[in-house]
Amino acid sequence: MSTSPQLPALGFGLGLRKEHYTTILETSPDVDWFEVLTENYLVSGGKPRYFLDQIRERYPVVMHGVSMSIGGSDALNMDYLQQVKDLAQQIEPRWISDHLCWTGLNGLNAHDLLPLPYTEEAIKHVVKRVEKAQDFLGRRMLLENVSSYVTYTDSEISEWEFISTIAEQADCLILLDVNNIYVSSVNHEFDPLDYLHGVPADRVQQYHIAGHSDFTDYAIDTHDAEIIQPVWDLYAQAVQRFDNVSTMIERDDNIPELSVLLDELDKARDIAAKYQP
Amino acid sequence: MSHEKSPLLELQQEFIRLLMNGDQKIQSRIIGTQKVPVETRLGIYADAYRFRLIDALADSYPSVHSLLGDDDFIALANAYIDHCPSQHFSIRWFGHQLPTFLQQTAPYSGSPALWEMALFEWTLRDVFDAQDFTPLTMDDLRQLPAERWSDLQLQFNPTIQRIELSWNVPALWQEIDKQLDPSEPISCEYPLPWVCWRKIDQKNWFRSMDVDEAWALDQMRQQASFADICEGLCEWIDAQHAPQRAAGHISRWCEDELITAILPLK
Repeated sequence: MSTSPQLPALGFGLGLRKEHYTTILETSPDVDWFEVLTENYLVSGGKPRYFLDQIRERYPVVMHGVSMSIGGSDALNMDYLQQVKDLAQQIEPRWISDHLCWTGLNGLNAHDLLPLPYTEEAIKHVVKRVEKAQDFLGRRMLLENVSSYVTYTDSEISEWEFISTIAEQADCLILLDVNNIYVSSVNHEFDPLDYLHGVPADRVQQYHIAGHSDFTDYAIDTHDAEIIQPVWDLYAQAVQRFDNVSTMIERDDNIPELSVLLDELDKARDIAAKYQP
Repeated sequence: MSHEKSPLLELQQEFIRLLMNGDQKIQSRIIGTQKVPVETRLGIYADAYRFRLIDALADSYPSVHSLLGDDDFIALANAYIDHCPSQHFSIRWFGHQLPTFLQQTAPYSGSPALWEMALFEWTLRDVFDAQDFTPLTMDDLRQLPAERWSDLQLQFNPTIQRIELSWNVPALWQEIDKQLDPSEPISCEYPLPWVCWRKIDQKNWFRSMDVDEAWALDQMRQQASFADICEGLCEWIDAQHAPQRAAGHISRWCEDELITAILPLK
């Protein structure tokens, strides 16, 4: 009997941002769950942990990291992983995610989500590291597709074949960033529907939807603006293809009032309801 | 056994050299398009690397930024990025070497108020997310039997940071925090001791101290007893008044939430 690796869905969530801490505690908004940026809470105490603990008492959370460098050539940073594991033991997230990328080399950190070449070597390398990270954390993790601006001459397959193969071989889940698919499709001139149809439905656990910056000939994943119609359209296509997936609005910069994001979340709910009544 | 270098490692080495040194060797590994040439594509990453780190520095050092103005701050940030690339997984730590960099690097080393401001801002940052604590109350202190005072040793708030400042940077910091134009920095006659800490309400606090209070605090944080402090305070006041002075300091520390516990007798 085959069983889906997916975890129970959480519904419609938002990224937890410090600008909204007080509003969330004062108004208990209609949000099913919050995604917290792991690194912001890998601190000893103070306001970040105070508010996280308060909000965690009221809402389910998931942890989303940017520093695992799962595709990096340095050894996995076990000190970082230990801190992630410790935080997970304290706040009990429903799941932990990071990005399918690399972030630095030789101990130097670029603090960016740098793209990998889509090669057999990179697949083997990442699969081994995901397995190690999952063993250490004691749970299956989610890997998110990043926006990219370069295509490497080394790449042998498509990005969707790359992430799908890694997810299957490492037995991990996928955080499908619909905006990143759109941005990369503009930058690399592919059909975003090919991406949606190229990933295994039973491995997609979560969506990110977000805004970006349009430079006419290319797009940059700035997460600082409203979600544009083509990304909503792609999200509508995604909800028709995948079941049991949790949706999250991701805004990282130019943070608006919480109500603006709640409106976007309602729009996502409406789209999902239309296609998954 | 093959000694061939991994193509993945080679690619990552070239990419890092692009970001950190502007080395364009990686261009041969990238496919450009008519709409978006290779240089533009790589430029997105190179620019993002610097912008993100400059943003992180501006976030950690708003008052240094304000003292320097935009252009000079960006020049400082670029020099710092080149000399002290990030070695921590969290960008929160990226600016930790800026005070030392300013102190040791021309032309900034000629502006001591600037590096003291950086020291002050980084200290407040450390206070902000240091370990949580429960403060000792005045009632706890009052219940201490009189015979226990001589051996009294205290445990202190883990957020405490002690610094010495020769310029009036906390006053300038307050002006900038209130979005006023900062006055000209003024140097003090001698370095003033400051204590910075966080209270239970999660707010950062700081104040200057008399030299004897700073000495007593430093000593008691290193497990000196009340009797030790009374003896040491005789450098500033007569022996008869030393216990009262020491008790006064402890009482104020307690009110300020600087103390977390009375240590048990050994």
